[in-house]
Amino acid sequence: MPVVKIELDRFAKMVGAKREEILERLPFVGLDIEGVERDSVRVEYSPNRPDFGTDFGIARAMRGLLGKEVGLPRYRISDSGMAVSVDRRLADIRPHIACAVVTGLDLDQEDIRQIISLQEDLHNGLGRKRRAVAIGLHDLGATKPPLAYRAVDSSFKFVPLEGTTELTIEEALDRLPEGRLYGGTLPREGPFPVITDSEGTVLSFPPVINGNATKVTQNTKNVLIDVTGTGKKQGDDVLAVLATTLAEAGGMIQSVSISSGKSVRTTPDLEPRALRLDLALIRSTLGLDLSRKQVVQALGRSRMGVRGNSALGPRYRVDLMHPVDVAEEVALGYGFDRIGSAYPPSRQPGSFNAFEDFLDSAATVMADSGMTELMTFELVDHAMLYGNFGRSSSARISVHEPRSSEHSLLRDSLLPPLMAALSGNVKSEYPQRVFEVGRVYLREGDDVSERWHLGCLVAHSQSSFSEAKMYLEAACRTLTGVEVSAKASELWAFAPGRCASAWAGARALGHVGELTPESVHAFGLKVPVSGFEIDLTALRELLK
Amino acid sequence: MSSSLHPLERRVLSALSKEGTLPFAALVTRSGLKEDQARRALQWLSTKGMVDIEETSVVRLEVARTPPELALMKMLAAAREPPTVEWLRGQFASPEEFSAAFGRARASGWVVVGGSDRSAVKGTGSDGPKALEEIIASVSRTGRGEDGPGRKEVVADLLKRGLLRRIETKETSVSMTPAGNAAVSSTVSAELSDRLTSEALSSGAWREKGLRPIDVEAKSATFFPGRRHPVRDFIREVKETYVSMGFTELTGDSIHPAFWNFDALFIPQDHPGREMQDTFYIEGMSDRKLVRRSVVANVASAHEDGWRTGSTGWGYSWRVEEARRLVLRTHNTVLTVRALSESKERETRVFAVSKVYRNENLDYKHLAEFHQMDGIMVGEGLNLRHLMGFLKEFYMKLGMKDVKLWPTFFPYTEPSLEVVGYSDVVKAWIELGGSGIFRPEVTLPLGVKVPVLAWGPGIERLMLMRFGLEDMRELYGSDLSWLRNRVELAGR
Repeated sequence: MPVVKIELDRFAKMVGAKREEILERLPFVGLDIEGVERDSVRVEYSPNRPDFGTDFGIARAMRGLLGKEVGLPRYRISDSGMAVSVDRRLADIRPHIACAVVTGLDLDQEDIRQIISLQEDLHNGLGRKRRAVAIGLHDLGATKPPLAYRAVDSSFKFVPLEGTTELTIEEALDRLPEGRLYGGTLPREGPFPVITDSEGTVLSFPPVINGNATKVTQNTKNVLIDVTGTGKKQGDDVLAVLATTLAEAGGMIQSVSISSGKSVRTTPDLEPRALRLDLALIRSTLGLDLSRKQVVQALGRSRMGVRGNSALGPRYRVDLMHPVDVAEEVALGYGFDRIGSAYPPSRQPGSFNAFEDFLDSAATVMADSGMTELMTFELVDHAMLYGNFGRSSSARISVHEPRSSEHSLLRDSLLPPLMAALSGNVKSEYPQRVFEVGRVYLREGDDVSERWHLGCLVAHSQSSFSEAKMYLEAACRTLTGVEVSAKASELWAFAPGRCASAWAGARALGHVGELTPESVHAFGLKVPVSGFEIDLTALRELLK
Repeated sequence: MSSSLHPLERRVLSALSKEGTLPFAALVTRSGLKEDQARRALQWLSTKGMVDIEETSVVRLEVARTPPELALMKMLAAAREPPTVEWLRGQFASPEEFSAAFGRARASGWVVVGGSDRSAVKGTGSDGPKALEEIIASVSRTGRGEDGPGRKEVVADLLKRGLLRRIETKETSVSMTPAGNAAVSSTVSAELSDRLTSEALSSGAWREKGLRPIDVEAKSATFFPGRRHPVRDFIREVKETYVSMGFTELTGDSIHPAFWNFDALFIPQDHPGREMQDTFYIEGMSDRKLVRRSVVANVASAHEDGWRTGSTGWGYSWRVEEARRLVLRTHNTVLTVRALSESKERETRVFAVSKVYRNENLDYKHLAEFHQMDGIMVGEGLNLRHLMGFLKEFYMKLGMKDVKLWPTFFPYTEPSLEVVGYSDVVKAWIELGGSGIFRPEVTLPLGVKVPVLAWGPGIERLMLMRFGLEDMRELYGSDLSWLRNRVELAGR
């Protein structure tokens, strides 16, 4: 989740409230306080509320919640007179562009830090790492309108941001870190989108990098924002968040005319979004018998408006989809801590799941036999599961791109993780008798069968097949009354001649034996190990 | 007998108990110990004042030569007729020896000289020779000969004549002190056995033999009872809490189509949370049976344009291939929502406490596999106040007296709540888990027309508080020293 750092003195001025009041109410706008320092606080916000990406946006909400400034925020928009034409050849590549001009800015360093942080969060969140939406900020004074959003080929040249020499598009994609990071969203063979002005100066090569000629500096007072992407709505969402945030920072918003063939539209779109004001739904969702006046008042504190049977949400609120979202805004404006709670007693008895109970009893029986229960991970690595036993991994079940190779395969047996557990305990007292009741995954062609197994290992200088078999028989008998019979058998985990399959009548349950000397050695153990593993799912089925 | 006695010490005291004092050699034989064992035990016992060890001089006599007068008497007894003096003289090695023997025998009145020529030697039948013989025999047998009336003088005479020798030797003798006596006084004089045997029980021998006392204060071998895993016990506690509140337990597979894990919960297909870095997808497998029909079709439309839910939807084009991918469930809501779609009951409470999986690097507060305790409550008229009421009640039963409910965001609930609890351990408010009311975009496509309250908090943070741990990895580290030594009632 993205994080915003709020400097408390600056923020208190923006809100017009005391620090203590601010700290106490921050969680009630839906922000998680991640850390509080002497002069600042770091808050986490959900990516569905990109308008919380700066202290400006949070202050806007906070003023509402504290009743200092309620209802829809109003932003005056004048016409910049600027026009952008869109090349139809971009229709299949990155068709949408929206722009806005913000003038009269006087940003200090903290303002700039906040806005850069917002831009990054927007790129990663709504922008889906620039694939869906990419943003460019430019020094308005360095551009010569009208602008063109054009398709060019890979030999097209421009000077990228912070560069001194011209690069072709192809070179930019290959050589610049941004090219390698974001170039993948464009077709390799082109054409490629660029934004140029009337003199051919490149403002941007979206979604990769801006041009150097229109670079924003600390002295820039007037900016041009371009937002390009694959979807119109997402682009407009991002632009609304950015433009209104800059307006909160003291700027004046101006519109830009976008023409694509014969259709012309004006951006930014800051038209409030209307949702049905469903009073019955609001009352039943919150469990509060609120009057319409109370609802309107609460919505005002959530910076929303009401017109007739519609609730109006500011355009920067990209999370409002359904009348139930209005209900939550009422709850927020009303105050979550004022709603009150009522536990509804149950009208029916509860019950445990019979199979889960069976697993629990299996653990109890084993613990009562003197075993220590372990809970190991189901995702394991290759050496533990296959390598140390010298067995084939052809039936392995892998997860896609695990972050750590220690969690790359789903186990099909409990014996390897139990052996690994013993190997981590060689300094503990022997005898060591351990067991696990755990889930295993068996490959059946292109499907997976999930089973619950009981695995058990006994490690000490006198550990033997007969001891393991004794525990196996006792467990089955005590748990289910089933008498297990053993037949000479083989399994990768057990030494030849020291392994039996365990049967309940005609039903195979698993194996018991002495671990191969090779595996004992591979896990770094210095005592013989015997054990068993049976299928509890199968054992349980016998009882039905 | 004092329990602080070493078994060797006990053997020595037992051996001494009959005689009180024994020479060292006899003690070794009697106790059945080796010499050095006995010596060690004596050293310890004498330090404790239970025995006195004395070096004593022992004098014994030895026969140097048989007295010649006795030899003379034997010759007389063997002869058929009283022999002559001359003949007897010839029987001795030298005339001096004969003279000594003959003179001593005549002086003692053992023989007389008579007969026609006054040269025949006859015995008088005196007891003297027999008494002397006994003295000699006693000396050669026991080293002593002076015990008995009149013998002392005889022995002195024999010594003087050089027929007996005086031999002096040093000997270690051990005797029991009163303290030693007290130490053995608790034991019966009969022999003791080390353990009660089946043989002794069936033969009745246990009546004669007591049990040898042992050192009951000595350290015993370490033993670890079998234990259920603390996580299992905690899960059981959570389950009991749920059941006591009228909930029915659910269980199910870990692997599900992305459809049930994500799509059915209105999580858009390009949601960052669905990406690989957060979710484990199963390599090369998918649910080929999943098709855009009935519930699946409703869900797909809800994503695209809101379907009949009154929502705008996410506004993208939904792909069935994405929904078919198999994932390790990232939350147990997959179990409750599947149950919800199958059950048409208008009022129900179900829960599942089990593992969820996230593609994470492990650190002190992140695991790739951990547990969540998801539940849902379905029923006409349920609302946010009920959700808040349930959460407070539930956490109170789990030992969290002070919880706060803060607004938050999840794609599938509206309104959404974060449960925050005060931890006495870290002295701070910590996030315990999310909850909310399922969005209509979730419930309506499944055919559910009544409100569904849902929550899915983790349990690991609660367990860290319970067990006084600071690192989640410790819970599943299989560290035997923690699992075996942890105190059963810790944190209660």
